[in-house]
Amino acid sequence: MNRREGGPRPRLLPSIPGAGWILRRLRSQATFVAFILPATIFLIVLVIYPVVATLTLGFVGADGQFTGLDNFATVIGSKQTVNADCLQTGPPCGTLINNLIWIGLHLPLTMFMGLFLAMLLQRVRGAAIVKSMIFLGMVTPLIVIGTVLKFILEAPIGLVPAFFGSIGIKGLAVNWLTSNPSTLLFGLIMGTVWSWTGFSMIVYSAGLTTIPKDYFEAARVDGASEWQVFRKITWPLLKPVTLVIVTMTVLWELKLFDIVIGATNQQGGLGGAADVLALQMYRFFYVQDYNHAAVVATLLTIFTFVVSISLFRELLNLPRHKRRLLRARAKPAEVGTDSPQATIAPTGDSP
Amino acid sequence: MSSGGADYVPSKTSGRLIAIIVALLIVTNVITAVGVYYAAAPKAAVVPVQVIGPWAGDAIKNPSSEWGKFKPVLDKFTNDTGIPYVYTPTRQEDLSPTLPIAFQAGQSPADLIFMPSATIKQWAAKNWVTDLTGTIGPSSYQAGALDPLTASGHIWGGAYTGKVKPGFWYNTTFFQANSWSAPTTWQGFFSLLGSIKNSTGNPPLMAGDGVGWPLSDVVEHFIETYGGASMHKALANRSLSWTDPSVKSIFQNYLVPTLTNGFWTAPTTWDNPGVTLWWDGTNPLYFMGSWITGMVPNPSALGVFPLPGGVANQGIVFAADYFFVPKFGAHQDLAKRLAQYLASEPAQELQVKQGGHVATAANVPTTAYPTVDRNVANLLSGKTVLSDLDDTIGNPFQGVFWSQLQSLWANPGTWQTVLTNIQTAAANQP
Repeated sequence: MNRREGGPRPRLLPSIPGAGWILRRLRSQATFVAFILPATIFLIVLVIYPVVATLTLGFVGADGQFTGLDNFATVIGSKQTVNADCLQTGPPCGTLINNLIWIGLHLPLTMFMGLFLAMLLQRVRGAAIVKSMIFLGMVTPLIVIGTVLKFILEAPIGLVPAFFGSIGIKGLAVNWLTSNPSTLLFGLIMGTVWSWTGFSMIVYSAGLTTIPKDYFEAARVDGASEWQVFRKITWPLLKPVTLVIVTMTVLWELKLFDIVIGATNQQGGLGGAADVLALQMYRFFYVQDYNHAAVVATLLTIFTFVVSISLFRELLNLPRHKRRLLRARAKPAEVGTDSPQATIAPTGDSP
Repeated sequence: MSSGGADYVPSKTSGRLIAIIVALLIVTNVITAVGVYYAAAPKAAVVPVQVIGPWAGDAIKNPSSEWGKFKPVLDKFTNDTGIPYVYTPTRQEDLSPTLPIAFQAGQSPADLIFMPSATIKQWAAKNWVTDLTGTIGPSSYQAGALDPLTASGHIWGGAYTGKVKPGFWYNTTFFQANSWSAPTTWQGFFSLLGSIKNSTGNPPLMAGDGVGWPLSDVVEHFIETYGGASMHKALANRSLSWTDPSVKSIFQNYLVPTLTNGFWTAPTTWDNPGVTLWWDGTNPLYFMGSWITGMVPNPSALGVFPLPGGVANQGIVFAADYFFVPKFGAHQDLAKRLAQYLASEPAQELQVKQGGHVATAANVPTTAYPTVDRNVANLLSGKTVLSDLDDTIGNPFQGVFWSQLQSLWANPGTWQTVLTNIQTAAANQP
């Protein structure tokens, strides 16, 4: 049809790429695929499939039939996991409660001891040597620490009962591993405090070096006491470091296994007094009860996820006060203007 | 020739040349490999039989180690048959979780493996174990030795030598010096414990602690003595409840009083310091298996007595070491020959000669035993031979049983709760 006659204009065809363009495109895609494929395969085989398989196992019986939440009810309802009687009769309290007791005692002790040591050794000659010695507990394999604890806590050869015997406290000059469920749990928690304090000390030491000295000098010039300096400057500025320490420590406490099995046995010692979730999972696995083992693994993953997500949220996002500030700055710019530039949030820190 | 600044592009000629050289290298290598294989490879290699057992130690530096005593038995097999062996010591606790995974994958790390009887039977039910019926049989064994491995008329494994758990061991020299003697009545036993405690100021009974097993042996001894062999068997096959009044009475009247009177130490690592403290007289009575004969400097000074004043039909626990042939082993025929040999009188005679073991095979002469082991073997006479109770039931019951008994030793007042918890574990055992 002739265009001059006012007929419909022919549709503008997109430019068809030539063979060279297609080849180039394919080649670039091939490079992309070649790079991403090995990692993807590894991820699928070693991470995604096991995670999905573990989750699935928790919802089926030994015969492979879907059982809903039965396995979860069995594990969580078991006295091995939560023993409510322990409120009246004392330990064993169950794996979940024991993990919580561990967190409740171990976390504040290691955190504050680490902070105390980091501050104490801040300006001491030869501090590096002392720090290295304290950090040794952190690099020693946990199974070794468990075995060492066994020797330290067992009467009559152990240091701890011998020490209490020498100062006349006969009630504690006993075999801490087998005489009393409470001494067993408390003894192991103290042992893990020794091994983990090195971690918080090192991280706090690193955190302390990032605080500008000017702040301290200015505060002292203004007549602030050491306690005020700590409370108003050191502690607030160490908050990000504290968050990392708390998260890492709680994760470590949740997956606690080696020390307990090294110092006691598969059951977590007498009556299961020092039993923990990871050990419970191992026991299910030991008798090929993979479904209940998967339930404990899933519970551990959920707890770990809850703890880690708070860390990642804080680490990946801007601090809350900064976000508020940015929103406050952005609002006046949005009022009465259509300019796209006005909605661009300022990035500077200055008011 | 490329101009300056342009990328270097190898000429097509050199590319072809490289390809030819690589192809030539591959061809010549393949020809050489095939030639070397057919010229040098042995026509029929001698295949070793792979064995996994619990006995470890340095057989050369320390021939009295557990492996040092088992090695001559395997060496004799090789000498007699020409079949070499490869032995790997591995703890049964470590094998329990890993072997099922290998078996599910249709593989086995060895051709013949030592495991507890309950585990072998559990795995036989899953079709992972080779049926040894016809390869070995009850006729070559002492009566009842293969019972723990027999199910539905099939024999799923073999019994090797074992150890007896006869009673309380003591150092006769120490006893004579204090004018103490083995008791013959329960009252006599109880007053002996009181005398020792008053004299030494320490608990007279050493309680061993391993992963929990020494305490379970003690409890079994109380049951087989005051409840008889029938009660022990009924608890092992779970036809009797742990909360039954007859079982409770044994705890209430015999075991618990020894605990509440402070006659037992807190469970202490059984070999060291346990054995040391027992032998030096700090805690001079120790319930242990016959393996203790190899752990003291002067075995001739060893004395042993069972709990006195029991019922008529008493039992005695004989803990044998059991082996089986996995279905997925690479050399089934060799494994069966080795199984046949280990079940035989010559193999077991060689083992018991070295001390610390008691034969399960028939016709092993008593003269083959060292004196101390001969006395132990004689303790079997007149008593019903029983299998270890918790080994027979297996895990997860076994672990709970051990841990509950540790709890009992810590808090004897909770004995009824302990029995309830043990019964729950027994009832829940698959």
